[in-house]
Amino acid sequence: MTPEEIIAAVTGGLPPAVRCEADYHGVMLQVPAEHWLAALVFSRERLDCDFFDWLTGVDETGEGISVVAHVYSLAGRHHVLAGTLLPRSAPRLPTATGIYRGAAWHERETHEMFGVEFDGHPHLAPLLLPGGFEGHPLRKDFVLAARAAKEWPGAKEPGERDVPRARRRLPPPGVPEGWRPS
Amino acid sequence: MTGSPPAGGPPARSRGVIALLEENCTVCMLCARECPDWCIYIDSHKEPVPGHEYGGGPDPDHAPAGRGRQRVRNVLDRFAIDFSLCMYCGICVEACPYDALFWSPEFSYAETDITALTHEQGQLREWMWTVPPPPPHDAGAPPHRQSRSQVP
Repeated sequence: MTPEEIIAAVTGGLPPAVRCEADYHGVMLQVPAEHWLAALVFSRERLDCDFFDWLTGVDETGEGISVVAHVYSLAGRHHVLAGTLLPRSAPRLPTATGIYRGAAWHERETHEMFGVEFDGHPHLAPLLLPGGFEGHPLRKDFVLAARAAKEWPGAKEPGERDVPRARRRLPPPGVPEGWRPS
Repeated sequence: MTGSPPAGGPPARSRGVIALLEENCTVCMLCARECPDWCIYIDSHKEPVPGHEYGGGPDPDHAPAGRGRQRVRNVLDRFAIDFSLCMYCGICVEACPYDALFWSPEFSYAETDITALTHEQGQLREWMWTVPPPPPHDAGAPPHRQSRSQVP
């Protein structure tokens, strides 16, 4: 399917709240959360996107947390990106594992890295992080504590062996002003 | 990744290890500052340049006008890349304005001790011998600036 055919199919087959645009990379569906599963079912059944490639999150800071999924048609060699913007305070989506079973690991990862809840997921346990880990490391407000503990190698000037004390006090990127390890 | 290389060798522009051509390094610190992983460690000191000795005055940093100040240059003491932290983004290679950092396709340098993945200056210089010549330009690409300027 060409991008134009995909857009025509989406315009006729999905609610008007689903925005669909084609850019250089392909077709992107902007889906409100309530139509998330419908859009994925539509992609699999009507757009022939039978291959689930990946699902992940994007921290859009002030706007919220996006969840983005990429699906592909092995026969037609076209692909579709579907994204939905969720409120930062309580990002929540129904699980896509009923449509694409391969989404299970990706949703577990998005859950631990971005704090998105996937309702109905069979086993929403941490995938990569150790037990007891606090916070969601891929959110922009996650403090990069390792940077507070380690000296920045770029703080030195050319020809300098040691960093003067005064310059060392600047907080490194990823560490808020005045933050102290608790 | 360690093992026998893929048949026909790794593809062009493979990112195996970063090599240092220390002769080109001016200790500008740009790579260490651009590195998002903070895995480049550089030590250096200043040395007076022979033939440009300071001519007089009590304070070499505030020499009287016309006398000139002592010229110094930066000398590299340590250049190390910690490949246990490196994520092979290549920003340091891109950032280097003096062509001192290069990609090498060599990838067989796994270690059982993580500290051995910090490659010091001598080891990084040795990787230079494995850096391939730059691939030819794609068909239709504009010629390199230097070769264009050579056209009469």
